[in-house]
Amino acid sequence: MNVLPWLIITPLFGAFSMPVISLLGGKFREYWAVIVSGLTLGIAAKVFYTVWKSNEILVYTLGDTNPIGNGVKFPIRIIWEVDLFGALLALTVTFVSFLAILYSLEYMKHDTGLDKYYTLTLVLELGMIGVVITGDIFNFYVFLEIMSIASYALVAFRNDTWEGIEAGVKYMFVGSLASSFILLGIALLYGQYGTLTMAYLAMKIAENPTLISKVALAFLIGGLLFKSGAVPVHMWLSDAHPAAPSSISAMLSGLVIKAGGVYAIARIIFGIFNPGLHGYLKTFGMPAFNLNTLGWIIIFFACLTLVIGNAMAVVQNDMKRLFAFSSVGQIGYILLGFGIGIVAYGDKIGEIALTGAVYHIVNHAVIKGLLFFIAGAVIHQVGTKNLNELSGLARRMPFTTISFIIGATAIIGLPPLNGFASKWLIYESSAMYNPILAVVAVIGTVFSLIAYTRVLFTFLGVESEKVKMVKEPGTAMIVPMLVLVIIILVMGIFSWQISDKIMLPTAKMLEQLNGEYIMALLKFIGGG
Amino acid sequence: MSVLYTTVGLIAVYIYVSFVSLVWDGLDRKLVARMQRRVGPPLLQPFYDFLKLVGKESIIPRDSNKMFEASPILALAASITLLAYTPIGFGPILATKGDVLVFIYLLALIAFIRVIGAVSSGSPYAQIGAQREVIMLASREAPMMLGLFAILWRLAKLDVEKPFSLETLYQHNIWEIGTPLTIVGSLVLLIVFIFWLASEIEVGYFNIPEAETEVAEGPMAEYSGRDLALFKLSNSLKEYASASLVVAVFFPWGLSQYLGISGIEAMLVDLVFHTIKVFVILFVSMSLFRAITGRLRVTQAVNLFWSRILPASMIGAILLAIDILGVIG
Repeated sequence: MNVLPWLIITPLFGAFSMPVISLLGGKFREYWAVIVSGLTLGIAAKVFYTVWKSNEILVYTLGDTNPIGNGVKFPIRIIWEVDLFGALLALTVTFVSFLAILYSLEYMKHDTGLDKYYTLTLVLELGMIGVVITGDIFNFYVFLEIMSIASYALVAFRNDTWEGIEAGVKYMFVGSLASSFILLGIALLYGQYGTLTMAYLAMKIAENPTLISKVALAFLIGGLLFKSGAVPVHMWLSDAHPAAPSSISAMLSGLVIKAGGVYAIARIIFGIFNPGLHGYLKTFGMPAFNLNTLGWIIIFFACLTLVIGNAMAVVQNDMKRLFAFSSVGQIGYILLGFGIGIVAYGDKIGEIALTGAVYHIVNHAVIKGLLFFIAGAVIHQVGTKNLNELSGLARRMPFTTISFIIGATAIIGLPPLNGFASKWLIYESSAMYNPILAVVAVIGTVFSLIAYTRVLFTFLGVESEKVKMVKEPGTAMIVPMLVLVIIILVMGIFSWQISDKIMLPTAKMLEQLNGEYIMALLKFIGGG
Repeated sequence: MSVLYTTVGLIAVYIYVSFVSLVWDGLDRKLVARMQRRVGPPLLQPFYDFLKLVGKESIIPRDSNKMFEASPILALAASITLLAYTPIGFGPILATKGDVLVFIYLLALIAFIRVIGAVSSGSPYAQIGAQREVIMLASREAPMMLGLFAILWRLAKLDVEKPFSLETLYQHNIWEIGTPLTIVGSLVLLIVFIFWLASEIEVGYFNIPEAETEVAEGPMAEYSGRDLALFKLSNSLKEYASASLVVAVFFPWGLSQYLGISGIEAMLVDLVFHTIKVFVILFVSMSLFRAITGRLRVTQAVNLFWSRILPASMIGAILLAIDILGVIG
């Protein structure tokens, strides 16, 4: 039995049955949400293991065994195409979502309308899974919208606070604009080539690279940079993340900007506009795109993002805002890795950069999940997120402080923890490609070091009045944090093994030196 | 088996270095006392101090948190780890390519753990000391890193198997290249390193974070008993490791090859000879410096580092670079 469809069916069923289940009472809907997201995690782990073990791209057609229509020679049905990158992202998404739902059990206890909350959270998870497994570009748009709309609603979930509504409205306007860019790009591609299957589209574009497809690419990348929170279009992010409930911030920062942002950028560039394919065409003197320009554009925005994001984190007084800006900064590293992966395509350097970028996506999801959980614990227990009022938490909340120290050192990228390996790969590749980029990357890290050291000192300093009576949060909030801490430590110890065994094959499969993404579709059609 | 040997080696080095570095502290106090026409304490005074501190009660301030008690242990742990990456007459125990980064990182980490301990104590004196320590940390590491990387980069060009490892310092040294530019560059970098060493161990000009008379021992203000003893020990280890780096970079020659011995005896001879060189370097950079200079203000010290020592380090690095790129002659 193919498990792939269950990856969508489970959260979809969970979300749609939630209103019914919640008629049974409060406890049931919470257990239901935990069970559903736990099952989804199990399925994602199975899918990941299958893809990793066989090292082949999994293809699945909706509605039939073969995407080829009657009487036509090209795929007309929606296909899902899961390579290692997609499977890895699906695993990360389901893992952090599961922990976020577990965390919500206690964290969201005091809020009302929780059946809607759990429904939306499962829908958000569903949207992200859909984005990372789909092989059809319109299907991708639909899932992107599911994800985006769920996240607009979740950002504004606490609609009795002004900041929730303000951030939600801002996020919605900006996000809708970005989505319309993406839709426009897809429409242009469809008008030009008459197909929506990504792999088939890649072949058609290679046959006939036109100006229209270039314009479409610009629209797609522009819209997706919005969604990933790259500077200069990061302003929604720094409002949305602080305003959302912390369990949602963890998902927004750890997952949404990855799945709907950098993952999609990488997929569109390497899947549809494959630099390798076009380089191959060029050697035969055929018309082809030169994707180096695009690579440099991405590198430019990446450098801007990682310097400005991290620098803005230094001056924040609001803990969650600081983490949100730090997320912007870390997106810069991921984009830098992808950018170098494009300009140094087919090179050892490009491969290292892509490995680093993929690795950093996973690491950042885990670390930022932890940091937002910590921020949530602090807000939940103390009632403020202003760093100036939070001095001296360490005495009353030792576990939270230790977790914060681990999370902060991991995100700065200090050696015994997991952030080091991924950042190192990005530094190394940028230093080998162009030392100026490495200098920029190190400047970003210095800023992030300063930002987190400041938070650390507020945690450790002299106790303020506000924190005199606080205590640690309950088990349901401690356990997700503990799990993430353990994951960070274990990934830190085995960082190079993970890099070699998982991240490098992932990067290779994403890079598609032999057009694996297209070949998988052709093989699937031929075999079916 | 190699894991076992490494562990045994590390423990042996740790015991040796603890002993030697405390002996040096006693020697230093004696020497400085003689320079000021005092008799001074006996040579083994640091051992008595250490034992006395260990026996005393540790007082934990009411406003402190868990990190206050954890940081002495962490600092000592980081110092012991540092010893595994320190060149001590022969290559470091855990030498790999790129281990110089670990060395620098651990050295900074020890200072940072001190800062964390100080901040956690809840005492304003300690916090002021901690702020100064961070400022000094940020100022002094840049010139040292630049110089060290320049030298290791230069040595990596001479056919070494583990580039950017501190072990390469024993395969080739910077003087054997012998061109005038490298010699001048290395001399400039030697001066940079002497200043860096003085500020790393916080003596003379750079006794700023601890400044007894101003901020009452700074980061260590609230530490007492066993915790203070652990910090003193880890500081002595750090002192030895930092001086070892300077010795290994600039004066790596061993005695064993001249005496024609090999094997375990050679290692012992080199270790002892290395210790003597460390003592000489520390005499210049620590005892003399401590006896003849007073403390700077923190702004002056920062200024000194960014406007004098960093440019000097740049000049040294550029001279080495010019030499290898062959721009002149």
